[in-house]
Amino acid sequence: MSERIYLLPLWIRVWHWTNVLLIITLVVTGISLHFADPKLPLVEFSLAARIHDIAGFSLVAVYGLFVIANIVSGNWWQYVPKPPGVLERCKVQGKWYLWGIFKGEPHPYRVSEEQNFNALQAISYWVIMYMIMPVMLLSGLIFQFPQLAPDRLFGFDGLLPVAIVHYLTGAAIVLFMIAHIYLGTTGKTATSMFGTMITGWHEH
Amino acid sequence: MFAYWRQGFTVLVLVLAGSVWAPASRAGTEAAPIDTATIEKNRKANEACFACHSAAGIKNPPKADLDLANKLKDSRLEPALFNPADHGVMDCRQCHAGNHYDPYPHAEVGKNETAPCTECHAAKVMRLEPQFNASVHAKNEGLKEKFTCNTCHNAHENIVALRLKDPHKIVAQDNHGCLECHNSDLTFAKFAPDGEKTPGVKRKRPDIDTIHDWLPNTKLHWNAVRCVECHTPEVAAKKMLSHEILDKEKAEKKCVTCHSANSTLKVRLYRHMAKDEQQRLGFTNSVILSNSYVIGATRHPVLDGIVIGLVILTLAGMLAHGAIRIVAALRRKGNKEQAK
Ligand code: HEC
Ligand code: HEC
Ligand code: HEC
Ligand code: HEC
Ligand code: HEC
Ligand code: HEC
Ligand code: HEC
Ligand code: HEM
Repeated sequence: MSERIYLLPLWIRVWHWTNVLLIITLVVTGISLHFADPKLPLVEFSLAARIHDIAGFSLVAVYGLFVIANIVSGNWWQYVPKPPGVLERCKVQGKWYLWGIFKGEPHPYRVSEEQNFNALQAISYWVIMYMIMPVMLLSGLIFQFPQLAPDRLFGFDGLLPVAIVHYLTGAAIVLFMIAHIYLGTTGKTATSMFGTMITGWHEH
Repeated sequence: MFAYWRQGFTVLVLVLAGSVWAPASRAGTEAAPIDTATIEKNRKANEACFACHSAAGIKNPPKADLDLANKLKDSRLEPALFNPADHGVMDCRQCHAGNHYDPYPHAEVGKNETAPCTECHAAKVMRLEPQFNASVHAKNEGLKEKFTCNTCHNAHENIVALRLKDPHKIVAQDNHGCLECHNSDLTFAKFAPDGEKTPGVKRKRPDIDTIHDWLPNTKLHWNAVRCVECHTPEVAAKKMLSHEILDKEKAEKKCVTCHSANSTLKVRLYRHMAKDEQQRLGFTNSVILSNSYVIGATRHPVLDGIVIGLVILTLAGMLAHGAIRIVAALRRKGNKEQAK
């Protein structure tokens, strides 16, 4: 009765869960560094710094592999919202999230091997993975090698803009992650999309 | 009549002068500020000494066959360093037993007659001597006699933090005082006591970066904070930094002492700048920020508020959406059952 398609190859699933682990580690240790305070129950500062450094470098490596694999496999095409009618499809999708979903209406677009993401997903994933992430990684790398940052800037330490960019892109990723995990429950059942990311199989 | 007026005038002058000079002389044993005329006079007098005691003097000695290049090879004396220093306003001979040094060759006795710090800084020495005596260097039997105030303080070059202002310069000067020994086998060996198990053999200098390898970005820290930030006990704000150098058991190891909103750096390295704190652009500890971005200490409360607010809003939005979904689903289920 239910129809299955094999949607996600192994490498995407392995990459995805590695990414999840690293980013959660980075978020927890990043929060511990930024809000460091003897009175708050956070990860101890030097431990947090050590873990953050290692996880940070790992994420840079994992991201590099992700970009290469995307180019080689052609998976990058999934992230491109395809005209015509992108705006129209975004509107329809948005309406479904805000209204149709409550009435139990079916998903407005059908997932297929050719078109894994809906238009809203494609745009937000594209922004996060190809705009926010590179900036986040680059600012992290400069943070790692502070001698790369300018010495002074407008009377402040040159690391200040790097730190702010790092902090704000980190915050953007946290916001994305909250929404991302929640929207993961909007599949056929609340857990079916998580299942797909584990097994690779999508059920219509 | 005229004599009367003259007498009155003299009294007036004396009274006025008295009220002007009183605060200065009340400092008593403390070194008093020096007026510009005296400074001019001292600078002029010092030129006689700089004729030999300077790079230019060594190159062009006032007399031939003095062999200054050899005799003064370890000297760093230089008007450009001496004049801006704390003691740069003084006549060399105030510390270097006057008449012994005017002629050259200098008299042998002069060597033992360098004025001790107490002579002019009695009150300060009294205050900090107990701290000094409790420090690792004074408690070390083999080291004690060799360790004096000018081991760390270069009387010819040092500029007190208050006047130096720029924290990078303060760090460079004060760390130089420690690293001169702790980063040089040559100097360290001159002071190091014999090892406990190896009498007659000097104790080895432990590598400074290895000792502190638990401190990430060690080199970065050496340029941004002073050894005394961690190796002295905390004192009340506005008080002079303690001279009790702490051993490895008591030294500060907790990162959040500096890396937190209530950073100790405010009352240590940035003590002299604390009054300049203006919350520039709304940053906490913005005085520090002009020199160093210190994770955890130099944050922006408004920015943090916005970020935390957005996270809470997103979470709340998702929870509300989820709750409506569940309620709607239950409703639909109920309706379906009714329809049956
Ligand atoms: C003609 C060159 C010359 C002049 C001028 C000169 N010095 Fe020297 N001074 C030397 C030399 C050379 C030494 C190295 C030790 C030695 O050879 O006696 C020395 C050593 C010293 C020392 C080290 C302690 C010692 O006795 O060895 C002090 C202190 C000193 N001079 C102070 C002064 C002062 C103060 C003046 C100015 C009033 C001055 N000197 C003027 C050449 C000079
Ligand atoms: C505030 C006091 C003070 C003043 C002022 C001062 N010195 Fe010195 N000087 C010292 C002390 C302390 C030493 C170290 C003596 C020791 O190690 O026994 C010293 C050492 C020296 C030495 C030998 C070591 C070296 O650095 O070469 C010379 C030469 C010397 N002074 C020259 C001068 C000259 C020239 C001036 C003036 C331009 C001057 N000093 C001003 C306190 C002073
Ligand atoms: C002959 C007197 C004299 C001697 C000896 C002397 N000083 Fe000074 N010192 C002064 C004077 C005068 C000033 C203040 C100059 C001014 O007001 O600009 C001063 C300033 C200082 C300052 C600047 C901060 C402050 O307290 O004003 C320090 C630090 C200092 N001396 C340390 C020392 C040390 C350490 C020694 C011993 C090596 C020493 N002095 C020996 C006269 C002396
Ligand atoms: C182990 C090295 C060391 C020794 C030894 C030492 N000092 Fe200091 N001293 C320092 C450092 C570092 C500072 C800078 C602290 C600051 O100003 O924040 C300082 C600061 C000072 C100040 C200026 C404080 C102020 O803000 O006005 C005076 C005065 C002073 N020392 C006098 C002495 C005297 C006198 C002795 C000898 C009894 C002595 N010191 C021995 C390292 C030392
Ligand atoms: C003139 C050389 C010299 C200077 C300057 C100097 N030290 Fe030392 N220090 C020594 C020697 C020698 C020892 C003894 C080493 C030993 O016993 O193994 C020592 C011991 C110590 C120790 C104790 C190590 C332990 O056993 O726990 C500490 C901490 C220390 N120094 C810190 C400092 C700091 C901070 C400064 C600058 C404010 C400073 N020292 C300046 C020579 C110096
Ligand atoms: C961030 C704080 C911090 C700073 C800055 C710092 N230290 Fe230390 N230092 C410590 C602590 C904590 C220890 C004890 C380490 C341990 O337990 O192994 C220590 C140990 C030492 C020892 C003793 C080594 C031994 O095993 O006997 C010396 C000497 C020393 N420091 C010198 C310095 C000098 C010189 C500087 C400046 C260049 C400096 N420290 C800067 C915190 C600091
Ligand atoms: C005495 C104060 C002090 C203590 C204690 C201290 N730090 Fe720092 N730390 C600083 C300052 C100041 C800077 C800023 C350096 C700069 O960029 O100018 C800094 C910078 C750093 C950085 C560099 C950030 C970057 O990439 O630019 C790291 C990482 C760090 N500290 C970690 C630690 C850890 C971990 C500890 C505890 C083991 C620690 N610090 C203890 C003062 C301190
Ligand atoms: C989702 C991913 C990440 C998040 C949420 C995050 C978050 C943070 C936060 C909040 C801080 C504290 C900075 C401050 O207080 O201003 C920080 C520091 C830092 N971050 Fe990240 N970060 C992430 C990824 C990375 C990556 C990929 C790298 C490196 C390649 C990196 C390197 C650093 C470094 C070097 C520091 C300074 C502290 C240290 O050395 O440990 N971060 N991060």
